[in-house]
Amino acid sequence: MIRFDDVSFTYTEAAGPTLHRVTLAIPEGELCVVVGETGSGKSTLLRAINGLVPHFSGGVLAGTVTVDGRTTKENRPRDLADVVGFVGQNPLASFVTETVEDELAYTMENLGVPADAMRRRVEDAIDLLGLQDLRDRSLRALSGGQQQRVAIGAVLTASPRILVLDEPTSALDPAAAEEVLGTLARLVHDLGLTVVMAEHRLERVVPFADRIVLVPGGGAPLVEGSPEVIMRSSSVAPPLVELGRLVGWDPLPLSVRDARRRATSLRERLAPLTPPSPRVAPGAPTAANEMAATRKLVVAYGRVIALDGVDLSFSRGEVLVLMGRNGSGKSTLLSTLSGARQPTRGTVVVDGRDPRSFRPAELIRHVGLVPQDPGLLLYGESVHAECRTSDKVSDLDDGSTAHTLERILPGVPGDRHPRDLSEGQRLALALAIVLAPAPALLLLDEPTRGLDYPSKDRLIEVLRELAGDGHAVALASHDVELAARVGDRAVVLADGQVIADGPARQVVCHSPVFAPQVAKVLAPEEWLTVDEVRRALDGALPA
Amino acid sequence: MTRAAAPRRRSLHPVAWWLWAAGLAICAMRTNNPFLLALIGAVACFVVSVCRTNAPWSRSIAFFLRVGVLVIAIRVVIEILFGQRGVPGHVLFNLPRVPLPSWAMAVSIGGAVTLESILNAAVEGLQIAVILLCFGAANSLASPYRLLRSLPAVLYETGVAVTVALAFTPELVLSISVVRQARRQRGIPVTGLRGLRGVAVPVLESALDRSLQLATSMDARGYGRRVSLGQGSRRLASGATTGGLLLVAVGLYGVIDSGSLFGLGLPILAVAAVMCGVGLAVGGRRSARSRYRPDPWRRPEWVVVGSGLVALGAMAVAHALNVPGLTVSFSPLAFPSIPLLPVVGILVAAVPAIAAPRAISPSTRGGIADPAAGPPTAQSSDAPQASSDLSGAPA
Amino acid sequence: MRIGSRSSFLLLLTTLFGIAAFAWPLMIHQSSGPNTAHNGDAPWVFVGLVPLLLAIVMAELSEGAIDAKAVALLGILAACFAALRVPSPGINGFEPEWFLLILSARVFGRGFGFVLGAVAFFASSLITGGVGPWLPFQMLAAAWVGFGAGCLPSMRGFPERLMLAGYGVVSALVYGLLTNFWFWPFVGGSTTYSFVPGLGTIANLHRFILFDLTTSMGFDLTRAATCAVLVLVLGRPVLAALRRASRRAVFEPQIEFIDQAGGEPTPALGGRGDPS
Repeated sequence: MIRFDDVSFTYTEAAGPTLHRVTLAIPEGELCVVVGETGSGKSTLLRAINGLVPHFSGGVLAGTVTVDGRTTKENRPRDLADVVGFVGQNPLASFVTETVEDELAYTMENLGVPADAMRRRVEDAIDLLGLQDLRDRSLRALSGGQQQRVAIGAVLTASPRILVLDEPTSALDPAAAEEVLGTLARLVHDLGLTVVMAEHRLERVVPFADRIVLVPGGGAPLVEGSPEVIMRSSSVAPPLVELGRLVGWDPLPLSVRDARRRATSLRERLAPLTPPSPRVAPGAPTAANEMAATRKLVVAYGRVIALDGVDLSFSRGEVLVLMGRNGSGKSTLLSTLSGARQPTRGTVVVDGRDPRSFRPAELIRHVGLVPQDPGLLLYGESVHAECRTSDKVSDLDDGSTAHTLERILPGVPGDRHPRDLSEGQRLALALAIVLAPAPALLLLDEPTRGLDYPSKDRLIEVLRELAGDGHAVALASHDVELAARVGDRAVVLADGQVIADGPARQVVCHSPVFAPQVAKVLAPEEWLTVDEVRRALDGALPA
Repeated sequence: MTRAAAPRRRSLHPVAWWLWAAGLAICAMRTNNPFLLALIGAVACFVVSVCRTNAPWSRSIAFFLRVGVLVIAIRVVIEILFGQRGVPGHVLFNLPRVPLPSWAMAVSIGGAVTLESILNAAVEGLQIAVILLCFGAANSLASPYRLLRSLPAVLYETGVAVTVALAFTPELVLSISVVRQARRQRGIPVTGLRGLRGVAVPVLESALDRSLQLATSMDARGYGRRVSLGQGSRRLASGATTGGLLLVAVGLYGVIDSGSLFGLGLPILAVAAVMCGVGLAVGGRRSARSRYRPDPWRRPEWVVVGSGLVALGAMAVAHALNVPGLTVSFSPLAFPSIPLLPVVGILVAAVPAIAAPRAISPSTRGGIADPAAGPPTAQSSDAPQASSDLSGAPA
Repeated sequence: MRIGSRSSFLLLLTTLFGIAAFAWPLMIHQSSGPNTAHNGDAPWVFVGLVPLLLAIVMAELSEGAIDAKAVALLGILAACFAALRVPSPGINGFEPEWFLLILSARVFGRGFGFVLGAVAFFASSLITGGVGPWLPFQMLAAAWVGFGAGCLPSMRGFPERLMLAGYGVVSALVYGLLTNFWFWPFVGGSTTYSFVPGLGTIANLHRFILFDLTTSMGFDLTRAATCAVLVLVLGRPVLAALRRASRRAVFEPQIEFIDQAGGEPTPALGGRGDPS
C-alpha cells in the first residue's frame, strides 16, 4: 500500500539529510506504529507519505514514495486527499469550519463529492466514530478526545485507504486516548484501513500494533518488524516490555493480559518483599509542613462549577500528582492556587496569604506555575533575552536563570528563538524561568505533553531534586507512568470534587484507569515501576 | 455559537433576511415622514424581537439602536451650530455669531435657531437612524456563518479565509486572557505599554504557528483542488468580466454626467453588471467543489422577501400617485399627514414575525419540514438535535 | 502572493472606479439635460457597483495565488484584526487594528495586503454585526491601506518603523476622509456644509472639508495617533514575529525530486515551485 524506495530527504537549509536511504513497504490493512525520539525524523517520514514532504515543506527528495500506486512526485498532498487521510497532533488546529457536521463534510466538499453521497458518508462517519450527540456542536466546545475523533472522522469521509496520524493521543487523558486508539483499531479490523501513526507513549499503542518502525535518527537505518521482535532490542519500550526483559519472558508480552498470565511466579517471588515506603509520610501534614491549602474551595464559570468544595493541603518536600479526566478541574485548581482566578467560595492560602494579594513581583517567589503550553510564558527574542528579563524582573543576580536552565537541561542554544526550540527545551526554559526565583510552591500543568522518554527522565530527576530541597510540587498529569515514578501523593479529581487522596501507591494501584502497567500486572501487590521490581529482585530491598 | 452553521435546524435563509431588510431600508429612503419612519423602525424591531435567536450576533440590533440615537443627536447639534440662517420661522434662541476666516466663505456659526430647522434636522437624522436600524435587523437575524455559505463559488478562497477568521476569533480572545495570566505568573505587570507588548507578541506568535498547522491540514484535505476550465470557458469568463468593466466605465460616465448618453447610464450599468456576473459565475466553475447541504430556499423565504417587496411596492405606488405626506417639511410648521397606503405596506413587512420558521422552538419545525429534505437518515437524526442546548455562548 | 498583469490591470481599474465611488460628489456634473433626476441615483449605483468590483478583483487575485498557507494565514490574521476591533467597533477612534494590517501587509507584500484589508474588514464586521451597504466601501478603503503598506520602499530597523508609523498616520487620516466622503451625500439637509449636487467641484470640496473637520477629525486623529504609537512601541517584535512566520511557512518552497539517490535533479511536475 505504501512503498518507500530508497528515499532520502533533505530540508532546504538543513546541513544533512533527515531521512537517509529509507526503503519501507507497508502492506494494506496494517496498523503500523512509528517510534523514535523527538527530532529523529518521525514526522518527516509520516509527512512524506502524502507528499506534504516535500510539496509543503520544500526540500530535496531522492527516490520515490508510492501510495496506492501513485507517486508523491506526480501528486501533491491535495491530489492524494482521497487516498491518504492525515491527522495532526493538535486536532483543534486542523479544523477549518465551526461545527462538527460541517467539518466532517469539508474534505468531501473539496473533492467535489456529489451532495447525496456526501450526506451518506457523513452519517456513516457519525455512526462509525460515535459522534451522534455532537453533530451540531461547536468544534471548540468539545473535549480533546471528541475533537480527535472528529478530526479522524473528517478525513475518513473522503474514504481514504490510508490514515496517517502524528501523535494523535499526546494531548488526551488515558480514557480518551484509549477511546481514540480503540477507534483506530476498529477501523483497521473492520474496514481494512492501513494506519500509520507516530506515538511517544508506547504503552498505549504497542498492543494494537501489527508492525513497528523504529526511527533511530541521525541518519541511521530504520528498523522495522513485528512488535515482539522490535521490542526485544528497542531503546524505547513500555514498562511492560521492560518488565518482561528483566524477568526474561520469551516471547515478550505486549498486553497486560499476556503479562499477567506469565507473572504468577513473579508475583509469588515478590509477595514476601515489600514495595519501597513513601519518600515522605503523607497523609498527616503538620502545620509546620503545610505550604499551601484550600478550604471548601468552589470555583464556578458562570453556571458551570469547575471546583466543588475542594479541601487539599500541600506540604513541603512532597510531589503531589493531580489526576482526573479532562475537564475535571485540575487546571482550574492549579490556576486558583497561583492566584490567577478568584475563588467563588472558600479560601486559598499559600504561604499564609491569599495568593491574589501578592503583587506580581512577590508572587513569583511564592507560587510558580508552568502552564500547559510553556510557550505562553515566552515572548523574548532569544533564550538569552528570556533569561535576562527573568533575572531583572525577579531581582536575581545576573545569570541565575541561565544557570538554573543549565542545571535542568544543559546545552540549550542561547541565541535560538524560544519558538524554534524543541518541546523539551521549551519546557526546560519555562521551568527555569519559574524556578529561578525559587517559589515555595511549584505547579505544573501537563508537563509531559510531547516529551520523549529521555526528556521525561530528566524532568522526573529535577522534580525529585526540588522536592528534596523542600519545595512543594504539584503537577497535573494524564501520564500514569510518570505519576507512578514521581508522585508521593496522588489526588484524583472528578467533576470538581476530590474522590481520592492518599499515598500515590495506594491511589493509583486501586484504580483501573490510573494504574501503571506494572501495577496492573502485579496486582494485588503494590508495585509501581520496573525499577522498584528490579531493585527488589536484586536484593536491594530486603524483606 | 454551537448552533451557528447547523443547516438542519431550519432557520430562514440569511439572504432572505437581507433582502427583506433592504426592502425596508429603501422604503425608509423614499420618505421623510417621521411617522412612517418610526413605523418602519418599529416593524424592524418587532420582527427582530420575535425571530432572533440567542446567538451572539443577534445582539447587534442594540448597537445599531445606540448608533441611531447618536446620529440624530449629532445631526441636531450640527444644525444648531452650523445651520443655514435667514429662513423665517419660530426662533427658539440666538447663538452668538462667530466670524470665520475668509476660506470658510458661505459657512457661518451661530445665529438664530428656529424650531423648524431643528425639527427638519431631527427628521433627517431619524431617516438615517431608521435605515441603519433596518440593516441592524438583518445583522441580528441572519447568521454570518450561513451568509458565508451563500458566497459565490468564485470567492471560495476569500470565504474560507473569513470562515477561519470567524472560527478562530473567540479562541484568540480567550488566549489573550490566558497569556495575561501567564505573564502575571512570571511576575511581570500586564498593564501599560510594556505589558501590552508582552501579551501581544506571544498571542500573535501562537496564532501564526496555528496558521501553519491549519495550512498543513487544509493541504492534506484537498484544499485548492481545481479542474482546469476549457479554453472556451476561460475566454468567456475573462471576456465577460473585462467587457463588463469597460461598460461600467461608460455607464458611470452616463450617471455622473447626466446630460450625456441620453440617460442610458443606468441601463448600460445593468447590462455591465450582468456581464460581470456571468464572468464570475463561469470563473467559479474552476473549483471542483461541491456543497454539503446548501441552505434551502422554500416558501418561507419567498414570503419574507415578498413582504419586504410589498412594503417597497406600496411606497413606490404612493410616490407614483403623488400621495400627500410622503415628503414632509416643517417649514412652515405643520403636522404631517399620515398616508394610508404606505402604512399598510409597511405593516405587511411585519409578516416574517409569523412566517419565518422559528429556530428557537422545535415545535414549529413540523410545519416547514420538507419530505424531500434528504435521505431517510435525516429523520432518525432529528431527535437529539431538537432537544439540544440552544444557547449560543461563544466557545 | 504575486500579482499578474491581468490582476494589476483589474486592480488599477478597481482603484479608478473606487475613487469615483468615493469622490463622485465632486465629479458630478449638473447639466440642463432632461435626466437630471438620475443624479440622485449615483450613490445607489455605487452601492451596487463596489461589491461587484471587489468580487471581481478578489476572485482574480485569489485565482491560483492563494494556496493553503496563504489562506490560513489570511484567516488567522483577519481573526487577530477582528479581535483587536471587537472591543471598539470604530466609534471612539481607538482602533488598534490598523497597525496590524499595516505591519502584515509590509511583511507579506502588497497583493496579500490588499486581500487582507478586505478580508479582515469583512470578517470583523460579520463578528461585530456591522454589515451594511457601507461595508464594501470600508473594505475597499482598508484594502488600499494594505496595498499601500506593501508598496513602501525597503528599509530596516528604526527608519523602517518610523516610515511605517508615518504611513500609519497618513493612511488612518485618508481612510477617515474616504469613509466620510461616502457618508457625506447621505447626510443631506441644508446646512452650510451639506452636499449640493451641481454646485461645482471646488465649492463642494470646500463644504466637504468643513464637514470632515467638524464631524470626524477628532476620531481620525485618535486613530492615527493610536496606529503610530503602536507601530513605534510594538513594531519591532511584531515585525520580527511576522517575518519569522513568513520564513517558516516557506511560501514558495524549493522542491526537487531526484529519481535515484545521487541522480539528476528534476523539477516537480505541477508542483508549487512553478510561478503561479
